[in-house]
Amino acid sequence: MTLLRHQDRVFYLFAAPFAALTLVFGLWPILLSIKVSLSESTTALARAPRFVGWENYATILADPLFAASLARTLIYTALAVAVNVGFALAYALLLNSDVIGRGRTFFKLAVFLPVVTPDLAGYVVWRWLYDQSFGALNAGLALLHLPGFGGIASPATAMLAVLIAELWHHAGFYVVIFLANLALCDKALAEAAAIDGASAWQRLRYVILPQLRPAILINLIYALIQFLKTFTVVVVMTKGGPNGATNFVSYFAYRLFDQGEYGQATAAGTILFAIVIGISALAYGLAKRGQA
Amino acid sequence: MTRPRPLARIAAWAVAGTVSLLFLYPYLWMALGSMRSTRAILSAPLRPWPEQWTLDAYIRLHEVAGVTLWRAVANSLGITLASTALAVGITAMGAYALCRRPGLLAFRFLRGGFLLTMMYPYMLLVIPVYIVMYRLHLLGGYTGIVLFLSLGPVQFFLFEQFFRALPAEVIEAATIDGAQEWDILWRVVMPMARPVVATVSIITFLLNWAQWFPVLVVSTTPDTYTLPVALLNLNGELGTDFQGIMALSVITTLPPAILFLIAQRRVIGGMTEGAVKG
Repeated sequence: MTLLRHQDRVFYLFAAPFAALTLVFGLWPILLSIKVSLSESTTALARAPRFVGWENYATILADPLFAASLARTLIYTALAVAVNVGFALAYALLLNSDVIGRGRTFFKLAVFLPVVTPDLAGYVVWRWLYDQSFGALNAGLALLHLPGFGGIASPATAMLAVLIAELWHHAGFYVVIFLANLALCDKALAEAAAIDGASAWQRLRYVILPQLRPAILINLIYALIQFLKTFTVVVVMTKGGPNGATNFVSYFAYRLFDQGEYGQATAAGTILFAIVIGISALAYGLAKRGQA
Repeated sequence: MTRPRPLARIAAWAVAGTVSLLFLYPYLWMALGSMRSTRAILSAPLRPWPEQWTLDAYIRLHEVAGVTLWRAVANSLGITLASTALAVGITAMGAYALCRRPGLLAFRFLRGGFLLTMMYPYMLLVIPVYIVMYRLHLLGGYTGIVLFLSLGPVQFFLFEQFFRALPAEVIEAATIDGAQEWDILWRVVMPMARPVVATVSIITFLLNWAQWFPVLVVSTTPDTYTLPVALLNLNGELGTDFQGIMALSVITTLPPAILFLIAQRRVIGGMTEGAVKG
């Protein structure tokens, strides 16, 4: 077989622009970032960078700020995944139940609209909603005689504030994934279980949740990847602060890049990439094994 | 099926309604903020309608972050439309070729390489992309931004899914009639793919309108800033013009919100399918 059979030639032509973009803006940058992560920062952008081996990785891994940032990222991811997927599951079950009837579309669109709202604009609005002097949030809490919320101004609550804003932007996506799966579920099964005397909790636990396995798996993996990479919300609302409370790894790496530490920035980035791949592969593997 | 009890329905509506209102409230607050003065907001932060209906903040916005507002609007529209058109054309042809000749070694590598790229944390890819743009002399121009935004996973998965489900007989019949591959793609397959093209176009428009980090990284002057990047700059400026920030947020949010509400079935369906496939 020759490499370029006549009848294949036209397909190479069709795929050429797609291949060019993938190479130039995908594979080349990935290789470059690995190369830069092994180079000295001051020479990293030059034609002939000076290679320093694993030095950048060693520097990053020995940096207590990076360790703190990584730990913070993992804690935030665990919390955000649990809250987002949990909320989305509960909300989707509510919208899917027969009691809702009319209004279902409105309730669905209300939580999905933020997904297609430019995240930057959404987070700008949230940043001001949290504002201590004229944000609506604390005014609303005061109206209800509830204690005030520190929001992004206090290290104790900044992570929670970021989480709420991200929930607003992302949860609708997880909701519609659950709704799509619920639409495929066999309602007769749950009804039969009800007739057999199963409680609502038993129906959920033994009849509905097993059928929702595919959506739970997809949402968990998407949410894991999403929240490990949390970036825009930090840039807009907190700049990693206050006092480093929201300095997650992607923002940590970006700051290094901004300071011209290209080697360390890409090393930190590559470590995050390895964690993203590792954790998603682990989640995928666990889910597959549970299914068998 | 049993008729739901009215009390249960009211409880369900109360919960879903409260959640919906909480999700929609930021939009109302943003619109109000663009019309109320800082002093007015300080004295009555929760007032649900403005003291006066005024578009002053919008008129004052003629220049933001070193560009005229109209330039930022034109940049947003131009970059989003151009990258959407390119994304649809390039991804459709690419996915079609990969589906017709899935066995070719080069195509298997291409698919694998593409998927790897899409798994790479986006914000980290942008750093080396800066270096690539620098090497290709694309920094500061529109070309680099548009090309970079023309590649995305949802688009590829939706097209791939459609072409894979296409009955082989359709293409065989055309081949027997002696049609060239080029004609088969443009005269037979693409007309059938019109619904997918529409879905992918709308979703790409929504996604690319929201893009800000690649635009910021590739730009060397504010001349190529889109609305979200202008908004980021305005929000970071000292001596905050709160009304102006809210007005620019409204302008940035409105086009995708309207497009979404018109095409919500297509958008939600397409994004769900693209995700489930990926």
